[in-house]
Amino acid sequence: MTEQRMPGFDQAFARGMTSRRMSRRNLMKLGGATVGTLSLAQILAACGEGTSSVPGGDTSAPGATMPDYGAEPGPTINFANWPLYIDQAKDASGTKYNPTLDQFKEETGITVNYNDEINDNAEFVSEILPQLQAGQNIERDIIVVTNGQWLTALQKNGYVYELDAARRPNFDANAADWARDPFFDPGNKYGMCWQSGLTGIGYNTDLVLAPITKAADLMDSTKCPPNSVGVLKGDAPDFAMITLGIDPKVSTPEQWAEAAAWLTTLRDSETFRTAYTQDYVDDLNAGNLSATMGWSGDILYYAIWEGYNYEFVLPEDGALLWIDSMLIPVNATNPAGAYALMDYYYRPEVAQTVTEWVLYMSPVPAVQALIAQHGEDADDDLLRATAENPLLWPDEAILDQTSLGVNLQTDEEIAEFSSIFDPIWEG
Amino acid sequence: MAEAADAATLREATDAFRSPPKRGDRRLARRKRMAAYAMLTPGALYLAFSFIIPLILIVFLSLKSGGLLSGGYSLTWEFGNYARLLDQYWDIYLRSLLFSGTATAICILLAYPLAYYIAFYGGRWKSTLFLLILVPFFVSYVIRTVQWRFILGDSGLIFGPLKDIGVLPADFHVLQTPYAVIAGLAYNFIPFTALPLYVSLERIDRRLVEAAKDLYASKAQAFRKVVLPLSFPGVFAAVVLTFVPATGDYVNSQQLGSPSTFMIGQVIQQKFLGAADQPAAATLSVVLMVGMLLVALAYARALGTEDSTLAAAA
Repeated sequence: MTEQRMPGFDQAFARGMTSRRMSRRNLMKLGGATVGTLSLAQILAACGEGTSSVPGGDTSAPGATMPDYGAEPGPTINFANWPLYIDQAKDASGTKYNPTLDQFKEETGITVNYNDEINDNAEFVSEILPQLQAGQNIERDIIVVTNGQWLTALQKNGYVYELDAARRPNFDANAADWARDPFFDPGNKYGMCWQSGLTGIGYNTDLVLAPITKAADLMDSTKCPPNSVGVLKGDAPDFAMITLGIDPKVSTPEQWAEAAAWLTTLRDSETFRTAYTQDYVDDLNAGNLSATMGWSGDILYYAIWEGYNYEFVLPEDGALLWIDSMLIPVNATNPAGAYALMDYYYRPEVAQTVTEWVLYMSPVPAVQALIAQHGEDADDDLLRATAENPLLWPDEAILDQTSLGVNLQTDEEIAEFSSIFDPIWEG
Repeated sequence: MAEAADAATLREATDAFRSPPKRGDRRLARRKRMAAYAMLTPGALYLAFSFIIPLILIVFLSLKSGGLLSGGYSLTWEFGNYARLLDQYWDIYLRSLLFSGTATAICILLAYPLAYYIAFYGGRWKSTLFLLILVPFFVSYVIRTVQWRFILGDSGLIFGPLKDIGVLPADFHVLQTPYAVIAGLAYNFIPFTALPLYVSLERIDRRLVEAAKDLYASKAQAFRKVVLPLSFPGVFAAVVLTFVPATGDYVNSQQLGSPSTFMIGQVIQQKFLGAADQPAAATLSVVLMVGMLLVALAYARALGTEDSTLAAAA
């Protein structure tokens, strides 16, 4: 029944999108509670650092360097990633392990300390910045950050190592076109995609007055009841620009103002309820929201696994695409090992194992056929459906419907951007 | 004979006071003094490390300039931060004061009768009754606030049934309005109000009330002229302890509010962890801290007793 209402979606797909997305965006909904404990260390670190670069202005990666990737890799790799974002299995004794990491260890002898510690780009990067500014080793060899100003900050300040384009045979052979040479990281100079996903609209079929198909429906009182529409603060600017037909990647301050005006209209419309940083799902489940900007995984998890009457749509006007990149922070202990591991994940059979578990958009398109084959061999409908899901293997039509978010390049741009968008949510 | 002996004893006794302390006494006095220092030092060191040094660092941090994409922030004595951010956020400061002031008033109105009853009529159940007030606060602050979202939900525990029986219109809602935020603040900070009120009411000498009644004061007069003034130090402490943290709070507005209830604590949190703009966060924090200090001093001055200042300090 649910499946009929959701053409193109299936449980396996939902499980994956959801399991990870849910956790990574929502697990830390109480993250605010940790602020107090973080701040002192951060302030101390921030005050101890002596920055020498000129404030303002577009400085391109001052100290960016390339380590010797040909060197003998170290015995361990510290890998910081988002929760539930890698293949997992349990052995006979019930201990969890990551098959692809174990296989890597078997092949190379390198132990990977995998730590799912990243719950929010802003929070994570804010946390490591003071140390990076002070030129310290942040004790992580790989970090995974979404495209946007946090990634830009790491690139521009030379806080991540350059990658050696000559030393990633699997990436060269297998990466999807959209994962190659992304506009925010030309030539994949600093990063390689780990996984990718989409932001659209989720709605409660019991509460909306008519099905939602486009972004403007969020402020349409014939479709959404009063006080029942949620907004995601972080995604809202890009979402509004995409709605207005503006490409966020090349947007101008005038267009930001247009998008801000659209969001202000939404905020002031009687349908609007509130803006969230991440914990909108609680209000959706409590019946306080009829429709909201949302991450597909969250909505589908509750729709399919928990039996809520939710739908997830890519708005007609377009949806937001995001790409999470693997990066090597400067002064990392084991860059050679880290780079080898990053390229290892571009081997189709390795990427397949990851995708069958996390069910996100894989940067290795060959995985689709492998999963289809696996589905036939194992006679598993979920795997077959996974291999056929259009949102996991976006074709040109779907990719055309999506855009990547804005990529602010200077402090002045960030200041202007936030001076345009922040006041909307500060009442 | 007997008189002489008495005089001798007396002289001996007074001499003991007059004569310089013996060596051993001096050593004892010094040891006592050292003991006082020894007892003060750990606390003082702790305060210096955990409070004074960070405070100084925050002031320096607030005078930095720079940006995320240009290599971070450096100390340029950027006093302009203060003017710029005050200009940008003065209305949010005012809103925070308004919300926490209202919440404090609610807390006093609720907690005073409660503390009064427990202190005067609690008898042997006093401690138990007071503990009952504190029991919910053994649960994490954030969790309690999140629970309120379910309690106050549009069709939640309270409003759901009321809407079902038609007492409330279907589109009635409290969550994500200023009412929810103020109610949340009042709920979360009420122990800070109740505790000092209870302490000051509990130590009022009951005989004073009896004396007032002996002098033909009515119950109400005895309360107004005796109990109430004597509990002022407690009221003062309760107001300061409730109002100050409530003004800087960000959890309630974040969990229960909407853009139109944005409070200064949220701005600081957002600047610090959402934008990595530590100088802005530090500037806003210093303004908040100094502002609250001034408000508290003015309040102490207006209320005016040494006792109340002491009570606030206690």
